[in-house]
Amino acid sequence: MSELPEYITDRVFDAPRAMVWRAWTDPELLARWYGPGAETIIHAFDLKPGGMWLNEMKWGENSMLSKAIFKEVAPLERLVWHHHSSTDSEWNTVANPKMPDWPRILLTTVTFEDDGPGTKVRLIWAPFEATDAEIACFAGAVANMGKGWESGFAIMDEMFAELQAENS
Amino acid sequence: MEQLRYMNAQPTLDAVFAALADPTRRAILSRLAEGQASVTEIAAPFEISQPAVSRHLKVLERAGLIERDVDEQRRPARLKAENMAAAVDWLAEFKEFWGTSFNQLDDVLAHMKRAEAKETSHE
Repeated sequence: MSELPEYITDRVFDAPRAMVWRAWTDPELLARWYGPGAETIIHAFDLKPGGMWLNEMKWGENSMLSKAIFKEVAPLERLVWHHHSSTDSEWNTVANPKMPDWPRILLTTVTFEDDGPGTKVRLIWAPFEATDAEIACFAGAVANMGKGWESGFAIMDEMFAELQAENS
Repeated sequence: MEQLRYMNAQPTLDAVFAALADPTRRAILSRLAEGQASVTEIAAPFEISQPAVSRHLKVLERAGLIERDVDEQRRPARLKAENMAAAVDWLAEFKEFWGTSFNQLDDVLAHMKRAEAKETSHE
């Protein structure tokens, strides 16, 4: 079997490891930063293997629900969970409405390590128990975010210039 | 916007990503960004046959990235920008999810540090 595609992102935070860990694992703090530009409501948060994190992100009238099931909790070191990207209002896993072949479950691994006075966090997303279509979709998205995608943006720029020229 | 009328017929983004995965198809889209073109015109700069270009155009058409005139003999192809825009949006969302969240986490940590410093100075 070929290797699964992975999305990896690294970030160094200007705070000691204990504080960064707390910001990830205290639901009150987590809700303050998780979800870009969203009002995040954490409906349940049980930090232990098998425990659930039920999350709602609100942008005005729009809500997005997701569910995480913790698999590994190693304080100050490692957090592993199954990220169910979309759920219905009963917290049942569903396909992403915009992208049906988006992996329903992403294995999420977050590691924490000292980096001078700061903390380096690495986050890895990989499809879990995914169909071939889900793996292909995720691989396409990850690949397009790299070099290949720059040409996509270049094409967009050209098209918008074209459309503007037509409309003027 | 006038382009919204296409929204109902929009294929899923899965097809868009598959279509964009191929460098020749991206080059064809670049060519079409300069204006509509026939198969012959599109094939000219590439070292591939017209039937091969036709196959690529079919994939792009199915993905909703281009449209072709039915009536005319030359069946010129032209871009449909909105599905491309939807794919770019999706990638931006994917890319920005953690990036933007992490910027927000920076702020939360700065706040925690200030709160801790305040507590220490009061002891």
